[in-house]
Amino acid sequence: MLTIDTTEKRGPLVSVLVPTFNRRRYLREALESVVGQTYRQFEAFVVNDGGEPVADLVAAFNDPRLVLIDRRENRGKAASLNEALGRAQGKYVAYLDDDDRYYPEHLARLVETLEGRDDCHAAYTDLYKVHCRVLPDGTRQVLGKVVNISRDFDRFLLCHFNHVLHVALMHRRDLFEKTGPYNEGLRVMIDWDMTRRLSFFTDLLHIPQVTGEFFGPVGECDRISYRMRKNKLDYARQVLMIRATRPAKPWPKMPDLSIVFAPDVLDAAAAGMIRQIGAWTFMPCQLYLVLPPAEIARADPTLPNQVIVPVTPGATPAARLDAALRRVEGDYVAVVSPGARVETLWVEDPLYAAAHDATGKVAFEIAGSAGGDWPAVVLRTDGLRRARARDSGPSLRLSLEAAGIAVRPPSEAERAFPFDRLLQNAEEMESDGDWAQAAWLYKQMGERFNNSRWMHERTVRALLKAGGRDGEALAVCREINLTTPTVSTLLLEARLLKRANQPGPAVALLEEADAILEGRGEPWN
Amino acid sequence: MELTPDGFLVEEGLDQRYDILKELGDCHTALAHYDRARQCYEEASLLAQDRPGPHVGCGVVALQTGALDEAERAFGRAIRLDGRCPEAYAGLGMVDQQRQDFARAFDHYMMALDRDVNNLVALLGLFQASIQMGTFAKVTHYLEVYLERHPGDVSVLFCLATLYARDNRLDLARKTLDVLLVLDPANAEAAALLKEVEQKQQKITSEANAR
Repeated sequence: MLTIDTTEKRGPLVSVLVPTFNRRRYLREALESVVGQTYRQFEAFVVNDGGEPVADLVAAFNDPRLVLIDRRENRGKAASLNEALGRAQGKYVAYLDDDDRYYPEHLARLVETLEGRDDCHAAYTDLYKVHCRVLPDGTRQVLGKVVNISRDFDRFLLCHFNHVLHVALMHRRDLFEKTGPYNEGLRVMIDWDMTRRLSFFTDLLHIPQVTGEFFGPVGECDRISYRMRKNKLDYARQVLMIRATRPAKPWPKMPDLSIVFAPDVLDAAAAGMIRQIGAWTFMPCQLYLVLPPAEIARADPTLPNQVIVPVTPGATPAARLDAALRRVEGDYVAVVSPGARVETLWVEDPLYAAAHDATGKVAFEIAGSAGGDWPAVVLRTDGLRRARARDSGPSLRLSLEAAGIAVRPPSEAERAFPFDRLLQNAEEMESDGDWAQAAWLYKQMGERFNNSRWMHERTVRALLKAGGRDGEALAVCREINLTTPTVSTLLLEARLLKRANQPGPAVALLEEADAILEGRGEPWN
Repeated sequence: MELTPDGFLVEEGLDQRYDILKELGDCHTALAHYDRARQCYEEASLLAQDRPGPHVGCGVVALQTGALDEAERAFGRAIRLDGRCPEAYAGLGMVDQQRQDFARAFDHYMMALDRDVNNLVALLGLFQASIQMGTFAKVTHYLEVYLERHPGDVSVLFCLATLYARDNRLDLARKTLDVLLVLDPANAEAAALLKEVEQKQQKITSEANAR
């Protein structure tokens, strides 16, 4: 791995963006953590979003790398980030919220990783979530520090759920030319929206090491995003807005799906199905609505990512499909018929299977497909085009078969989220009290899938509960703590040592864990 | 996230500081660093004022230093916080035992085992109290129940074999000792007891033959 000189003014410039709004109390500590980085080549933009004055606080650092952007008007986090980006010069961009903090090696780890890779322009680490009690004078009493998200990058998962914390992220600044700026129309999940858009253009490399912390006060949370999420309807609207976002093409990393839906009439059932498609589909897609002229006026023009494909009245299903196929832009196409079951993962399961099928010779059926001549399927667009060019007959199934494309549902192993489905199985085993079997499954998952550190920790916990397997649990736990210890794993190993009648070594580990809680010692340092 | 017995979701890590202090207290107790242990338990009890663990810990420290009244008060505080706390009842049993009040100790150990049949301190305490009182029926039952769940526990196997031998259930005693010696072939006490049991059996056989 490339070694970055962190003490001299060498290496690429990193722009650290620190938006702040009325958190003067915590901002000082956040900025101390930036100034204290071992990697010294950075510029940090503190954007005061119309909150209480912080100029004196920033000036007190007397560090030319800290730049204050002081706005009178409160325009939100996205606007703050965009304003800072307008002035950023760094090759890379990193983020810090005003109440969070980096550990000293944070920037160095990320720069070192990204400079060593040509194929990956973004990386992220793990962070501690600090459970704390806010005392009446505003100070935070730390109750615990846990790594509650440590997931390896998974593009399908990221489209569904944000598993990359923004404060943990660093990426090339030039990616903004492709993603566009932060969406100032969003009130929540601004971070997820951007990370999702980044994933259209690059993989994100996970460094499973804790390099900072964010705070989670027990009870009522003062985070703006937390308060915003209480309005469930508004929250759902914002999620749909994020899912509907399609940055400009080309997308080198993201599969684009074209959903072709050709109802005879746009009645209540068809309109309901269109709404269901919008609500349940989380992978980037466009809906190609194939309609005769008389029906077009009934289509809802406000729905995003909808392309109306006009066809002559009385056009056959085959003619409607072929009309849509002339227009679709996606790498993959889903052919949907009225009555198909639109539910969780309805199109993502067959899309995942198609995206991982090296042969390109399978059209994966959507669950609830009526079958017959017009099965509901997902397949590569070029495959379907070739099949229809060879045989433009009235049966989709026959065209596909003539082109050597088999029609079948995805197998269990081909469906989306294989890791998460195994995880669910293991958790069900735990609920049933079958700890030994759960431990076995976690171990297998750690060896065969990504997320090995997380799965190894789960293995230890399950072994501990299984009973009689302390030796095995101790060996796995010790291995974790040699490389990537956390408060939780240190506590686990200490408990195992205590049970093995070794209180002396247990005390050493507990004191190490206590030092991390107190902020006296951080892992990897 | 974990589920509590009441079905509530509990976010992991909220009790970490408490857990660390409580574990440190236990380890320092085991190392006979009693002042440090007491300090850890006191800090832990400030963090979680509704939990009995630190008071049990303080009770154990007091017990180890011979402060029986203080120990009794600490275990009592733990029971007031959580009447289902088996460790606190076991602690009271140990206090009673040190005061040579075996009947009361027996009752407290029984209360601990009623709340948790796996409490080894109470089980072994009950065994010792039974030996003093000469009543074995109840303790035999609890030892058997415990061994169903922890079949490899050598110390409990030995206690049970001893009780079987005292009760003249010599076949059961021998079988229990056979299992124990497979698990722990170097166990000299078990080997000696087995020899004693076999001699007893031989004596009974030869007396029967003589008749």
